[in-house]
Amino acid sequence: MNIGIIIAGVLTLAIYTFLYKDNPVYRAAESLLIGLSIGYALVIFWQTTLMDRLFEPLFGDGELLLIIPLILGLLMFGRFGRKTSWLSRIPIALMIGAGAGVAIPAMLYARTLKQMSASVMPLVTAGGGFDIGGLVVVAGLLSTLAYFYFSREHRGLMGGVARVGTWFLMIFFGATFGYTVMSRLSTLIGRVDFLLTDFLHILS
Amino acid sequence: MATRLPLAICFIFGLVMFLQYFSGHPLARAAYNHILDWWQIIFAFTLLVGVAAFIKSSLRKTQVKKDAPYALIALAGLILMPLLAVIDGTDIDSPFLWAFENMLAPLQATVFSLLAFFVASASFRGFRARSVPAAILLGTALVVLVGRVPLAESISELFPKVTFWIQNYPSMAARRAILIGIGLGSMTTALRVILGIERTYLSGE
Amino acid sequence: MERLKIRWIIFAGLLLVVVVSYLIDFRFGSRPSPQVQKCYDYIESLPDSAVVMISFDHEASSLPEIQPIALALLRHAFRKDIKIIGLSLFAEGTAIGYRLLNKVAGEYGKHYGQDYVFLGFKPQYISAILGLGESIRDVFPEDYLGRSLDSLPFMDNIISYEQVAMVISIADGDRTVHWIEYGNARYGQEIMAGLTAAMITSYDPYLASGQLFAVVGGLKGAAEYESLLGQPGKGGRGMLAQTSAHIYVIILIIIGNIIYFRNRSRQGRG
Repeated sequence: MNIGIIIAGVLTLAIYTFLYKDNPVYRAAESLLIGLSIGYALVIFWQTTLMDRLFEPLFGDGELLLIIPLILGLLMFGRFGRKTSWLSRIPIALMIGAGAGVAIPAMLYARTLKQMSASVMPLVTAGGGFDIGGLVVVAGLLSTLAYFYFSREHRGLMGGVARVGTWFLMIFFGATFGYTVMSRLSTLIGRVDFLLTDFLHILS
Repeated sequence: MATRLPLAICFIFGLVMFLQYFSGHPLARAAYNHILDWWQIIFAFTLLVGVAAFIKSSLRKTQVKKDAPYALIALAGLILMPLLAVIDGTDIDSPFLWAFENMLAPLQATVFSLLAFFVASASFRGFRARSVPAAILLGTALVVLVGRVPLAESISELFPKVTFWIQNYPSMAARRAILIGIGLGSMTTALRVILGIERTYLSGE
Repeated sequence: MERLKIRWIIFAGLLLVVVVSYLIDFRFGSRPSPQVQKCYDYIESLPDSAVVMISFDHEASSLPEIQPIALALLRHAFRKDIKIIGLSLFAEGTAIGYRLLNKVAGEYGKHYGQDYVFLGFKPQYISAILGLGESIRDVFPEDYLGRSLDSLPFMDNIISYEQVAMVISIADGDRTVHWIEYGNARYGQEIMAGLTAAMITSYDPYLASGQLFAVVGGLKGAAEYESLLGQPGKGGRGMLAQTSAHIYVIILIIIGNIIYFRNRSRQGRG
């Protein structure tokens, strides 16, 4: 019997004890998960980024410009001291600024303009009939945007349109809920497969 | 200094990364590539800071009797993974990947699978058609749950067709509106951050 | 106590339904949805010299649902002799992706460095996605095992997205959104996705606008893809359990609502 499978099976059952109630076995397994996750991430971050992109190029290939991110990265540790905590704001400001700078054109193009242009479509077909799907999309888009427009009170015509927007939102949330249930059940099926096949050998 | 310097850095780097989008000049490309690289490296240091904070907090918990065993287990897990990586690397048959496959992955997948049970429980206890919007939500969820199983497809092609129609038209329209709203909001926030109006990243400013 | 008992009964019922239906080895004939068919047709149309980038952007928590999708896509690509560049923008996706790539490559007799490579992980995903558009080597000078990319014959003429036909993001969250917003928007890179079912509705607008080429979604999507490939896998195996569990949840919802409306009408009369 594979020792790895035994360990995986025992840990799986330890987590499932939570379904009865919170207990020391579950909490121990949960603590192990937290420790392993952080340890794993530490290895991956170190190997694939710090060694690969910083220490080897800096100390191996002599790319001296990398001293700048090294110093900035070390400044992050300033947050552990009361008098030095402000130093950690410097590398954070660089990351936030860079992120904000690249985000503006990305958000403008990908989330706003492209989505708006995709909504502008013919609502009447070549045969003279209405494109029901297109009408639904336009109606849903405009009414939902009206719902999120809080600068004007939702009364009268605006209120009516916003209410329709609420219905479209409920359709979206309902569809999302349905798919989420599907997704969660799939994860359970996967664990049942492991227990029945690999751990208990009930299925081949 | 504690506030002005970070604000100035945020402004400079934000402006450079925004303007480089519109320039093909070699200097702009070089600045862009260097900043992307530095961003990557500095981000990796944030994990090291997180690890240090976790170790500090766990060591403090070892002084508290009821939390001590769990804190020690967490610390053991934290030490185990790098130790295994140092012993025999991270290749296919290494102890590091073995630990990932037989301990970390099963634990994570099982914790996540608990949600299936809670979703079932919530469906019974909380999912009520109390009002028209709630009834619409409930009805749509039921249509999706029925329409996306193979049994329904075997009974009638109409089931998946209705599900996909709902997904591709009314549901998509609402999601698109949300995306457009988020896009506009994100752009505004990004601009406010670059200009120094938004300072929440400075921790309480 | 009463509430706890009801909860335990619901939990036990769900477990029983899933276990019993999983024990029955029955596979439905899965008719492929339009999105899955589109994914399949696209990969099928690629020449064997094509290069596809597959990014494992997910955690181990979604592995039971995501792994059948990843396996189906990898098997299809390797069967077509398509070259694969693997990478990850999620720390846990690194080990998972490396393991899956090697596993499926072994099934088709593919060789590391010639037919596929695994670049590894980069934590700052926006920086990585943008950087890959300029130069893959700037982002990943070495592969996951520390070998220089220049030493791998596979990577000889591959510089950036321009040599990559498609990026397939296998995700359980919003990493694919960033591929679309930075990779597709800035560099025009075509993006395809393998997603958990929970994420499907979030990506519908991108599918409708053409920013996302196609999606294989959830265990059902994996089952459909397996049926197109003619290779049974965990996706199809789980469909009876999925169906039974769905029916169980639907019954719970109906019973819950009957009880609610009955209590409401009693209160109304009283």
